[in-house]
Amino acid sequence: MRRLALVIALASGLFLPVTGSAQDGETSLFGSLQTVFFNQKSRLTYGKLQPWGGTEYREERSTFAVQQFDIFLQKPIGESFNAFVDLEYQLNYASDRRWGSLSLQEAWLNYTPMDELSLKVGMLYPAFNNLNEIKNRLALLPYIFRPGPYERLLRDVFLSEDYLPEQAFIQLYGAIPHGDVFWDYAFYVGNASASYISRRGEDGLPENDLNRNFEFLTGVDPTEFNMKLFGGRLGIRAREESFKAGVSLTHDYDNLRDTTRFPPIYDGIRTPLIGDAARVRIGADCSGSIGDVRFESEVIRVLYDHGPAEDRDIELDQLFYYTMLGYSFTDRLFLYGSFQAGRDIFDVTSRHRTITAGAAYRLSDDITAKAQYIVYQNELEHGSHVDELMIRFVFLGFSIVL
Amino acid sequence: MTHAFGRTRVLCVIGAATLLITCANTQRLSAQSDEGLQIFGSMQTVFFHQESELTIEGEGLSPWSGTETRNSFAMQQLDLFLRKEMGDDFTAFVDLEFQLNYSSEARWGSLSLQEAWMNYHVSDAFNVKTGLLFPAFNRLNEIKNRLALLPYLFRPLIYERLLSQKFYAEDFVPEHAFIQLYGSIPIGDFFADYAVYTGNAEASYITRQDSRGGIETDINPNFEFLSGVDPTEFKLKLFGGRLGLRTRDENVAFGVSMTHDYNNLRDTTRYPSYTLSRSARQLLGSDAPRIRIGADLAFRHGPLFFETELIKVLYDYERAERLKLEIEQSFAHGMVGYDIFPALTAYVSVQWGDYTFGIDSDYYVYSFGSAYRVNDAITAKAQLIMYEEGYEEEGVTESAFSHDVTIKFVFLGFSILL
Amino acid sequence: MNQLFRISALLAFLAVGVFQAQAQTVVIVNASVPSSTFSVEEVMDVYTLNKTHWDNGARVTVFDLKEGQAKRAFYEYIGMTEDDLQRIWLRKQFTGRARPPHSLSNETELVERVGKTPGGIGYASESAVRGKKNVRIIARLKGAP
Repeated sequence: MRRLALVIALASGLFLPVTGSAQDGETSLFGSLQTVFFNQKSRLTYGKLQPWGGTEYREERSTFAVQQFDIFLQKPIGESFNAFVDLEYQLNYASDRRWGSLSLQEAWLNYTPMDELSLKVGMLYPAFNNLNEIKNRLALLPYIFRPGPYERLLRDVFLSEDYLPEQAFIQLYGAIPHGDVFWDYAFYVGNASASYISRRGEDGLPENDLNRNFEFLTGVDPTEFNMKLFGGRLGIRAREESFKAGVSLTHDYDNLRDTTRFPPIYDGIRTPLIGDAARVRIGADCSGSIGDVRFESEVIRVLYDHGPAEDRDIELDQLFYYTMLGYSFTDRLFLYGSFQAGRDIFDVTSRHRTITAGAAYRLSDDITAKAQYIVYQNELEHGSHVDELMIRFVFLGFSIVL
Repeated sequence: MTHAFGRTRVLCVIGAATLLITCANTQRLSAQSDEGLQIFGSMQTVFFHQESELTIEGEGLSPWSGTETRNSFAMQQLDLFLRKEMGDDFTAFVDLEFQLNYSSEARWGSLSLQEAWMNYHVSDAFNVKTGLLFPAFNRLNEIKNRLALLPYLFRPLIYERLLSQKFYAEDFVPEHAFIQLYGSIPIGDFFADYAVYTGNAEASYITRQDSRGGIETDINPNFEFLSGVDPTEFKLKLFGGRLGLRTRDENVAFGVSMTHDYNNLRDTTRYPSYTLSRSARQLLGSDAPRIRIGADLAFRHGPLFFETELIKVLYDYERAERLKLEIEQSFAHGMVGYDIFPALTAYVSVQWGDYTFGIDSDYYVYSFGSAYRVNDAITAKAQLIMYEEGYEEEGVTESAFSHDVTIKFVFLGFSILL
Repeated sequence: MNQLFRISALLAFLAVGVFQAQAQTVVIVNASVPSSTFSVEEVMDVYTLNKTHWDNGARVTVFDLKEGQAKRAFYEYIGMTEDDLQRIWLRKQFTGRARPPHSLSNETELVERVGKTPGGIGYASESAVRGKKNVRIIARLKGAP
């Protein structure tokens, strides 16, 4: 009987088919949309001589807008590869009316041979502090109006290009488990900062600030390799993701030829500084949750190493920090308050602070109603003059996952 | 009793074994998916190193020479395709193309609709395609932007969009058409391919937006209130076709192509004035009838493959004949490749272009590269390119002028199918 | 002992029979496909996506296997390599001319899909096809191992 059973078992084994091959996934298409109404009251006091007043300008506006619409494509390829694309549409984009913007924000290929090591290649958001990698994922954030440099609506006001490494092209990263935590690391390299990149001029022909004789492409970096962005982040994260902290560092150059990015009052200061200023960004982030309480904070310091500035004893320095504290009253309702502040020193000093309070109410898995109140104040000291800007925003909106 | 029980046991075991053997060949079923709208795409991300040298000489000018070196990452191209089958006879297809880190606010790169057409299939021998389409001209024109299908990072000059500001591809290839009749007829071991098409006049005629958002055209600005439309009369349109022969296994294919349209010689933005002699500038200002003739050949034998194309552009332009000025263009490229092993391909390519417009410009491109297929969806590519451009005036006495450009590229990149 | 021998012989006979039936690769079409003879060239034209519609005007839907003995036998039958076909399919897909074959993991799924898809064509081992009423065998591969 045993022999019979053995014969049958062997015979059966001959016919069991060999199966199994890695299957490529389908391309999945999804997205998010945030539509808002906002009321804005602004007051600019120009040339205020303390303690006397100066010229004051006021404005009030109300507007509806599709703040942002993202289309994502994702495709798993085999066991170890994954491709991802993010197309972003902002502010009622229309090419013929020149409203808003449409851009490719990310388009990368990821290779993960193991959780401790991944390689991402293509247009990507590099790991810098907590928010940089998800800065445009409005569906993941309770905010309508994001902290300072992360807020694309005020990119030129908050000088985002100075504070954040906006894009990189190769990133090596991973998470190493160690007891109850993960050690996160990331190292990346990318093009020089955006103001170097060749662009289409008013005449439709490509131009850049460096050497126009050779320009026939837009969107490419005309600089040499030493001008590129290099950076990284090291962090620690609790296994259950209740706590996360890290430090970040980048090195690149600031294009001080680009006078369009700053208010005209800087022209006189900038002219002798024209050139490439070595720039180091140092960041620190800390975030987490304890029960229903959630907190986030970041600080970014930007330091420059620029001979012409040092020769003239001109200080170049930037600082930004924010803290957010929030509470989940129910599964659906999240309330938060946030304080942000910073200063930009380009010989003259500009200080700003923002106080914001808001709420996000999850109507369903896909829809969140948001409200946010923001007061932004900015003071620019130049000589004995002080210019003050105050903007008060009230935002109402919906965030929808597609 | 014991004996009967033993027999029963044996029969049960045999039955179980038979069942097991049968079940071993029965595997799980999976649900049938809907056809619906197919969404797929491709992207190519690159890093390139570029060294450029420009030399200008002329009578009355001090010789000038400049060099530049750059390194750049870029999302060279991302294409999103939509395809839908509607019944047995109709198919719709859309190709949306993003180039060079496209951003409208930063004014980088470009976004364009490259194709958007509907196909009506009467039979394999007769189809009608209508909409924005790449017409059949030589072998590469229909797939010129399908980087995932090509081993190149940098395509043959007339198809390479990265050099569209330097090399006027529009003169050499019909970029878009709007109606194409085509089909394949089996003849023995071959298919005979044919295509005939018509489309708008060339791109430089098409109305466009100026920097202030107004609409401009080279023809008649008094009536212009739309961009992207062709303001010319019907006789200026593109007409063309291709006849080809291809083996059933597609290892050999060759064909001849021809088009007739007009070159917009009002478009002075394409010819910076310093590059034209006084005589050649007299050619400007009207429409020059243009005929393109193309020939293509491709074959594959095991791991060895070869592709070549030739294009000749002739003009029937009375003003040029009257001034005894020559205008014509030629382009040829040849590529030989070898599959070193199934996943690794290496190739070399040589290209030559001649652009005669009163003055004579020559272009040479030498390139070699490789493509390594990491898997079905990912290919790693590398390519070295040497581009040389030079022109000088011939037989013109007013002023002599020449410029030479040399650009060396090293490209590294990945092509990914989405 | 005699009984054991008889049972082993029976199992061996079954094995040979099953093995041969498994090994015989056949080309199948959905029952809706108009009945006619198909030469190997026509089958190749279908798999190179040059023939996109049947004689009754219905669209051809092509099914392929990811791997396996039947796949190897079929590719040898039509005289194409996997690389050749992938190259042709990619060009046809990316020019919008045709949809590449549905690539399936196993023969049973392929036979089911061909049976459910009007205009469907595929290949499998004969044993996988046996008893299926909604498919028709149009070719038996000669020289399949």
